[in-house]
Amino acid sequence: MSNEPVGVLVIGAGASGAAFAWRIADTGTSVLCLDQGPWMKQQDYPSNGLDWEARGMREFSGSPNVRRLPADYPVNEQDSDISPLMFNAVGGSTILWAAHFPRLTPGDFRVKTEDGVGADWPIDYQTLEPYFALNDRMMGVSGLAGDPAYPYHEPPLPPLPLGRVGNTLASGFEKLGWHWWPSDSAVLSQEYEGRAACINVGSCLSGCPQGAKASTDITYWPAAQRKGVQVRTGCRVREITVRADGMADGVLYYDPGGQLQEQKAEIVVLACNGVGTPRLLLNSRSRQHPDGLANSSGLVGKNLMLHPYAVVMGIFEEPLRGRRGPTGCLFWSHEFYRTDRSRGFARGYSFEAIRGVGPAQTALWGMLHGLVPWGEDHHRAFARLYDHAGTLLCITEDLPDETNTVTLDPELTDAHKIPAPKVTYRLGENSRKMLAHAVERAKEALTAAGAVETVAEPLMREAGWHLMGTARMGRDPRTSVVNEWGRAHDVKNLFIVDGSVFVTAGAVNPTSTIQAFALYVADSIKKNINTLFD
Amino acid sequence: MTETPAALNDLHFMKALLDLLIPPSGSGDLPGAGALGLSAAVVTALQGDPLLGPPVEAAVQALRETALSQHPEGLPGMAPQAAARVVEAQLDPMLIMGILLYLYPAYYQHPRVLEGIGEPPRPPFPEGFDVEATDAELLEKLRARRRA
Repeated sequence: MSNEPVGVLVIGAGASGAAFAWRIADTGTSVLCLDQGPWMKQQDYPSNGLDWEARGMREFSGSPNVRRLPADYPVNEQDSDISPLMFNAVGGSTILWAAHFPRLTPGDFRVKTEDGVGADWPIDYQTLEPYFALNDRMMGVSGLAGDPAYPYHEPPLPPLPLGRVGNTLASGFEKLGWHWWPSDSAVLSQEYEGRAACINVGSCLSGCPQGAKASTDITYWPAAQRKGVQVRTGCRVREITVRADGMADGVLYYDPGGQLQEQKAEIVVLACNGVGTPRLLLNSRSRQHPDGLANSSGLVGKNLMLHPYAVVMGIFEEPLRGRRGPTGCLFWSHEFYRTDRSRGFARGYSFEAIRGVGPAQTALWGMLHGLVPWGEDHHRAFARLYDHAGTLLCITEDLPDETNTVTLDPELTDAHKIPAPKVTYRLGENSRKMLAHAVERAKEALTAAGAVETVAEPLMREAGWHLMGTARMGRDPRTSVVNEWGRAHDVKNLFIVDGSVFVTAGAVNPTSTIQAFALYVADSIKKNINTLFD
Repeated sequence: MTETPAALNDLHFMKALLDLLIPPSGSGDLPGAGALGLSAAVVTALQGDPLLGPPVEAAVQALRETALSQHPEGLPGMAPQAAARVVEAQLDPMLIMGILLYLYPAYYQHPRVLEGIGEPPRPPFPEGFDVEATDAELLEKLRARRRA
């Protein structure tokens, strides 16, 4: 294995690392990406077999603590109300995501100014707008232009069909006069750039064998490799190394054979998600950076935000055929997105209408909620639920709180004896009130749509997909880790492009914004190349 | 190699237990879980679960002994309602859930069951499924509201 020095070293080949690497490759510099996971093979995805649901709950689970694959590291989540989820492979968590693809709204970038809580971002929606559009084209986004909740933008592909379940749920929002709009979805409604259209397999959350769902292993990475970017898999970075002057000069990593290797680089870019990035920074202690790299503010690992979710299911008399189609991509509603102090909390939430799940998950969900018993009544109860459910997810904006953290566990380590992360996350009072409000409104919408019964899970534990805030951006080095274009205040050749940099969380899925930011950082580096390290 | 407790190796007993948990449907469209021969899959999965496996194995062993004390043939010889009462009295609900955690996925991926619930007995890929179009009336309403 050659460890020749490179110009840019990207750590992590997921949503943000892929977008950044593709964009920075235009400079002609050598770009190398290290990822602890493998390349995925579409023929290995569970939906190729009858046991797709069982495998989806095991080796394709979103939790590294359940999967325990060689690419995974354990996460101590004992002191967290929500389990952090992720996937470690080329493509990262986009392998398992739902591909629901909203952007943050303009107001999400100025929370402090608008509502006096949280903090403002040092950039705004308009700054990212061209990168949102570019990213939509690279990922292949389907949607309907003109959502009044957003500035006008045109998804490159027409919207996905709502199907019977979506039509039914949307009718409830129509009756109430509430905002709803078909989701922007990173799922192809028609053939695009050599990728086939969605055929409604319905197993998005355990990988898309059709390749219609965008994951960066099939979107950005082939394009980046054509530009000469190298990807090295099965490589776990132990620490970022520094020169005598405190600047980054590369990494130490374990190769697939378990041997420690050194890779030098002029620029190091972190794209390891909101848990992996602070973990690596905190594991990179040195004489020059005794509290961890880029941590003079003390904020590395603090302000973790996870988007608390509630889920409310409506049971309908008529079959809704919801098992079929892209799981997480029906429509969204921003009816309760902005602050209304009469509700008793700051900020707000969005609804994401989703399709149904398969029969095994229906039975298990029914069991856990007391709806599907074992024994004589099993089949009747199952038949009432299966294919008769419509579901709303309530995604709430949790505010940054320094007591919600990623730290290094004093005992737990990964397979290479590298200290593992410990996540400490407790739901704030504002979030609790918001979740309670959201559950009641969701029941109202489902009932208006014709549900004969509603069942709520007021806080989903297995829902920590959105890992944000643990290396926040800002202009003041005392109150932030990176500047407005992702450069670490303390280490001027170190950049962060993942969700760690989020100042606040908004109340929508973050990947579109994470990737737009990664593209923006790449362009900012190009723009500032002559004074990059000043 | 861990020694397997006798109850989990007793196919007759396990068939009766699984048929109690998921019996055949009244219409006959859906088979019982025991009749489908799912014991091996469930036992293998349980034995690979370090948290659930040991307590479930111990409880199932105790269940079989209790059933044998009440009927010479144990659970397989009992009438369904009597057998269900023994299971309810003997097995902690959490342990029953531990079995169901592996039984439901095994049951609902079986081709006969898929056919019985109206699904095609095949993997989702490569054929996929059809989905109804978006309601044209709803789309018209959205278009009337859209931002220019």
